[in-house]
Amino acid sequence: MLNNVMVGRYYPITSKIHQMNPLSKIICTVIFITLMFLTNDLFFVLLITGFVLLILLMSNVPIKIYLRTIKGLKILIIFIIIINLILRVEWQIITIMVARLVLVVLYTSVLTLTTPPTELTYGLEKFFTPLRLIGIPVNKMALSLSLALRFIPTIIDQANKIMKSQTCRGINYNDSKVKDKLIGIKSLLLPMLIYSLRRADELAVSMELRLYNINKKRTNFRMNKWSFFDTYMFSVHTIILVLLIVRGVLL
Amino acid sequence: MDIKFNKVSFIYNEKTPLEKEVLKDLNFEIKKNQISAIVGKSGSGKTTIIEMITSLIMPTSGNIKIDNCYIEKNSKIVNINELRFKVGLIFEFPEEQFFNSTVQKEVEFGLKTFNYKIDEMSKRVSDALKMVGLDDSYLSRNPHTLSSGEKRKVAIASILVFNPQVIIFDEPTVGLDSNSKRNLMRLIKMLKNKYNKTIIIVTQDVDFLHKIVDYVYILEDGKVILEGDKYTVFSEVETLLKHGITVPKLVEFSHKVLKEKNIKMGYRDEINDLIKDIYRYAK
Repeated sequence: MLNNVMVGRYYPITSKIHQMNPLSKIICTVIFITLMFLTNDLFFVLLITGFVLLILLMSNVPIKIYLRTIKGLKILIIFIIIINLILRVEWQIITIMVARLVLVVLYTSVLTLTTPPTELTYGLEKFFTPLRLIGIPVNKMALSLSLALRFIPTIIDQANKIMKSQTCRGINYNDSKVKDKLIGIKSLLLPMLIYSLRRADELAVSMELRLYNINKKRTNFRMNKWSFFDTYMFSVHTIILVLLIVRGVLL
Repeated sequence: MDIKFNKVSFIYNEKTPLEKEVLKDLNFEIKKNQISAIVGKSGSGKTTIIEMITSLIMPTSGNIKIDNCYIEKNSKIVNINELRFKVGLIFEFPEEQFFNSTVQKEVEFGLKTFNYKIDEMSKRVSDALKMVGLDDSYLSRNPHTLSSGEKRKVAIASILVFNPQVIIFDEPTVGLDSNSKRNLMRLIKMLKNKYNKTIIIVTQDVDFLHKIVDYVYILEDGKVILEGDKYTVFSEVETLLKHGITVPKLVEFSHKVLKEKNIKMGYRDEINDLIKDIYRYAK
């Protein structure tokens, strides 16, 4: 029933991109997004398209899965094209706009497909560490994010169980009238709410019993080392960004 | 209502890296009007089997015949609610499904969704509650304030209320005290003897099982490795232990006595009978 929900959409295989440090992946993504919003000529967009294709191939994830993420953008792309055609924008600019959108979505899906959610939280925590200097509680945010991510599969499992047991009592979640559907949603949401609250309570108690203290410095179970490949990817991204800026200043 | 599995296979997450084959070419038949049990280690595919019987999941290949209804891949069952009306499934922690404010509403919920006649409803509800040993004073209580044993009883009543012909229990004894277990045992026996129901129990608790069950299937890695009435299955102690399945304590004890002292005790359902026998031999 809920079997096709892809949590964090992580695709479990091995590749060079999978082995990268999550922090470097996040930094590269941020640089890439900045890059995409600075480009405004067709030649550069073509160059970057080639670059993104290379990264997609390196990630070993089937291209079919990437195409699926693009499919969701279909309506938005058609909408952009129609609006711009009505406003009589030049075709080069429309192409750049659409390419920008598609490339950013493809690039970020590389990030989410190759990084497990827990690693992603680790990366985000490290990425936002400088914000601690201005008094933002980064570790608290990271903790709640990682707890939320950790409990998504558990909650989905439980929702599945409850859906199954309500199905045995006659509810058909797939095809029924609106009224039945509303009863179905009610019969799923209320037990889920009770379950989640109880679960949160148990978790808080058990963390307190193990003397969890948010203000202590925490270590990580997995040691994410910064490898040569991370430096390499980071440099490639930075070089492209610098090139783009220099080109913009010169021209 | 016989249930027949014909070359049933099931693969979780087919065509993804997380692919896992749970059932392999399964062939067996569950006969009507008796208590059958499916025993196996965790991960051997027990829950998958019972979810298939209620057509919550469809087999990857092969088919399951229930009454005159075939459950197979890519075929839509025309009257799926009719099938689910006939087959009641009670999950491992059934009390987690509660969402109504009173026990009465909770129990009659199934009847309402199956479009049962309104005027007979309240009688059916109190009958179902009586079957599990709760009186009418529970009708107006909030199901969430009950004790865990009572919650379990209400959940069982909410399935019994629409009078299914096949009743499936998934791990019914988890989290129950010995008294509640005894009550449950009595209820299951009554369902079979008085109401002629077909009962399927999936459990690891063999000590609970061997007192009530008629026919046992031993499952390992998605295959039935041993089946037969409880006397034949549980007497093969060595085979069971080799496959990592616990044997009822009574059976294990009489097996040990037979092996070491060469005294044949036979199969006993009750501990009292066994004690009497030992006494007789000692004299």
